[in-house]
Amino acid sequence: MIPTLGHLAVVIGLAATAYAAGAFILGGRSGDAAVLASARRAVYAAFGLVAFACLAMVLSLLTHDFSVLYVARNNATTTPPFYSVISLWAALEGSILFWTLLASGWASLVLYRYRARLPALMPWVGATLALGTAFFFAVMAWPSDPFVRVTPIGLEGNGPNALLQNHPFMGLHPPLLYLGYTGMAIPFAFGMAALITRRTDEEWLAVVRRWTLVPWIFLTAGIVAGAWWSYAVLGWGGYWAWDPVENAALLPWLTATAFIHSSMVAERRGTLRTWTHALVIATFVLTLVGTFLTRSGVVNSVHAFTTSGIGAWFATAILVTLGVALGLLIWRLPDLRDRRPPGAVVSRESAFLFNNVLFLGVTFAVLFGTLYPVLVEALSGAKASVGAPWFNRVNAPIFVALLFLTGVGPALPWGGASWATVRERFAVPILSGVGVVVAAWALGVRGAAPLGILGLATFVLVVMGDEVVRGARSRARSRGEAAPLAVLRLATRNRRRYGGYLAHVGICVMAVAIAVSATLGSDRTATLGEGESLSIGPYTLTYDKLVTEPLASDPRVIETRAELTLAGPQSGAIATALRDYPNSSTAIATPVVRTGLGEDLYVTLLGYNPATRTATLHVFINPLVMWIWSGGAIVALGALFAIWPDRRRMAVEAAVAGA
Amino acid sequence: MRLSRLRWLLVPLVVMPVGWLLFTGLGHDPRLIPSPLVGQPMPAFSGTTLEGDRFSSADLAGKPAIVNFWASYCIPACVDEHPVLLDLAAGHGGELQMVGVLVNDTPDGARGFLARYGQVSWPNMLNADGNITIDYGVTGPPETFFVDARGIVVARHVGPLTAAVVARELASLGLEP
Amino acid sequence: MRRLALPVAIAALLALGGLVVIELMRPAAEPTQAEQARQIAGELRCPDCQALSVAESQTAAAAAIRQQIVEQLAAGQTPEQVRAYFVARYGEWILLAPTSPFAWWVPAAAIMVGVGVFAWWWRRDGATVAPAPAAPTSGMREQIRDEAERLDA
Repeated sequence: MIPTLGHLAVVIGLAATAYAAGAFILGGRSGDAAVLASARRAVYAAFGLVAFACLAMVLSLLTHDFSVLYVARNNATTTPPFYSVISLWAALEGSILFWTLLASGWASLVLYRYRARLPALMPWVGATLALGTAFFFAVMAWPSDPFVRVTPIGLEGNGPNALLQNHPFMGLHPPLLYLGYTGMAIPFAFGMAALITRRTDEEWLAVVRRWTLVPWIFLTAGIVAGAWWSYAVLGWGGYWAWDPVENAALLPWLTATAFIHSSMVAERRGTLRTWTHALVIATFVLTLVGTFLTRSGVVNSVHAFTTSGIGAWFATAILVTLGVALGLLIWRLPDLRDRRPPGAVVSRESAFLFNNVLFLGVTFAVLFGTLYPVLVEALSGAKASVGAPWFNRVNAPIFVALLFLTGVGPALPWGGASWATVRERFAVPILSGVGVVVAAWALGVRGAAPLGILGLATFVLVVMGDEVVRGARSRARSRGEAAPLAVLRLATRNRRRYGGYLAHVGICVMAVAIAVSATLGSDRTATLGEGESLSIGPYTLTYDKLVTEPLASDPRVIETRAELTLAGPQSGAIATALRDYPNSSTAIATPVVRTGLGEDLYVTLLGYNPATRTATLHVFINPLVMWIWSGGAIVALGALFAIWPDRRRMAVEAAVAGA
Repeated sequence: MRLSRLRWLLVPLVVMPVGWLLFTGLGHDPRLIPSPLVGQPMPAFSGTTLEGDRFSSADLAGKPAIVNFWASYCIPACVDEHPVLLDLAAGHGGELQMVGVLVNDTPDGARGFLARYGQVSWPNMLNADGNITIDYGVTGPPETFFVDARGIVVARHVGPLTAAVVARELASLGLEP
Repeated sequence: MRRLALPVAIAALLALGGLVVIELMRPAAEPTQAEQARQIAGELRCPDCQALSVAESQTAAAAAIRQQIVEQLAAGQTPEQVRAYFVARYGEWILLAPTSPFAWWVPAAAIMVGVGVFAWWWRRDGATVAPAPAAPTSGMREQIRDEAERLDA
């Protein structure tokens, strides 16, 4: 009964979004407010319907209703409730259901918030969002129906994918990522609407900037949480493998980041407008490419869902979107002429532009590397692999150049800078960078990558610090404010700039942590008998005993763990395990991570011999890893600070609009 | 035609190659890796079998051979292909040699598998160090190599054998299906 | 302060230069066999997992390949010979970094073309586009406010 209702909700949802798309287009042409209101309500209704369908699926999972194929494949009677609920997004059909929930949620939110504003744009925004949501409903109605039934009904299901039920982070990382992915439809919808209605003005740009930053925050958090999940679950001691699906999340993030920067130039200088539009389109198309890569079986990946027939649907959607959007852009090119010449070669806009070229360079390289095996096979029939060694070598220099520009951009004035300004703004930061490199070298840090990144990060931080001090000092002088208050006021009066600086601080933290953890870590593998120990760096690990027992929360899962005593800078009893899931041929590692400010101690059980009671351990010392996650959090906080509503600005804008 | 009209060409110029790439990509299975061994002499191996005997690939010389990589944990694929292998041995026992190679499996596991799904007449290499797996470039069980009478690898099949696959490959070995 | 800047800058650059020289002069340690094995393992794809290298993977196949690498290096094979050994068995597919120059030149060429187009656009538009109409945009308003804040009365 419940699954049937869920299926019905999906079908009605498809009808509702299709109606909404048609009504928005009709209403957009005629301006009929009643038609537009009914279209909006149809989108809200679709959101309600898909929420109901999700609820139906979650209930089916929680009650282990194995008459539903999805439940039979991804759930078992022993699956703990938490993992039953998050199984909603653990496999193909459910993830599309969840995706549709988020997509229609974003669409409803935007249509509700702007119900009385931007009357010319909104019908077309609504039409684009409704069409996009209708596509996902159609995917669920035809090739990927989440509520397919099976007979005879099994007494036991297959259980969730072992990797996905091994860590609670699975409850956090996909929703964040999906919120980011689906939210990128909003700037795209505004972009299409602006092109159709020829309202490609600053008002449009301000709205799109804000609505790119909102999903961008989720995408950033989702990517960092995904890296953290990979680190905490997969047991290989790393966090980023350049897996096609990781790349798929990175691609729209890169173009959206490029957009955030180029839109500032477009807004301030009235230049780069075509480019900015193209980035909005590219970001959305890349989110579709990401879904295609994950769900079509075209590339091999840890995350790839079972091969399914929906690849052709997504490929068609990508081509239609690309064709229509590009056609619209070309049609409106005359409207998008730059209003002003670009500034001097040494200016803030040139730094931003160069930043965009590099971001697009990384995007291209990552896309090329991800699709290279497909390309080679299509051209020559041969199989090829592209993995971390290629991606690191190709992308590292571009990321280093980007980090450098992070410092250069904010220090240069718009329009152009004189040589004197350049000297004045950069002397201290460059000297500080050099000083830190020399000091780090003297303290024993070796290697070009960590030293170079440390120097660059110092340079960037000092540039921004200098800017803040300069601004605060002038405020303190003119208004007689105390220094801390001046800094605070300065930041809250110009949230965008200082939010951006905060995000850049996070980037610097991440860059140093990534460079150091990638080059200065160490690891050891050893097979120990009970009572033996191994030493790595300042730590000593003693292997006490091997314990094999069923997991308390799910007795079908057999856990074999090596219990260890740790001595050194951190000490205590720790255990690292391998878990045998009934539906997985290989045991799933459950690494133990002792996180510290300076370094993580990371221990994985590689294997064990039940007869001799020996255990093979892989122990890593991973320096500064927690600063990667912390840096990511700072980046997201910076963006949040930047978009936080500013009462003073709103008042100014209201006054200007009223005048 | 005015030059500005030409920019419309950009749409097909972008969309068509992307479409070509995406749709040809859909036609390929990333899991099917062609083996560079096809056309090469079969890599030699020797070692202990499940029965505790010594066996060497030199013993295969003179007749077409099938080298089947399998494991007891490989379910359902190895279970599915097991009757196909048994039929093959029953039908072509005289003109074809067969050898199984265990992939990262325990002798007990393998014996249990055979006891459950049917005993076999051909030797099975223990392959404890996994070197045969590497020499044949095996990515995972089941995988099967077809070797002709001169010891040249003529084909590799990834995944469970089916009667149709066996019939096709026997023909390429010059045997009646 | 200003008078100090030049000597300080020279001193800092000298220090950095000295550092680079010291690093370059230091005889590069010959990589040990274990380091070589690790390096090779990092470049080979683990055959029965996705995207991870043999060095990172925990699967039995990866362990067997690691063992083979160590044994072959110990038997006097060069790293190139070890790599070729695996390519001959698994195909180019086993290498995580493709050897084809195409794979390396395309991204580099894309960046260079990007920079070229950017420079061309900058020169062209910088010379020909007429100055903007004087209507204050919200961007300009903000800029004015910004500059005002910076100078502040």
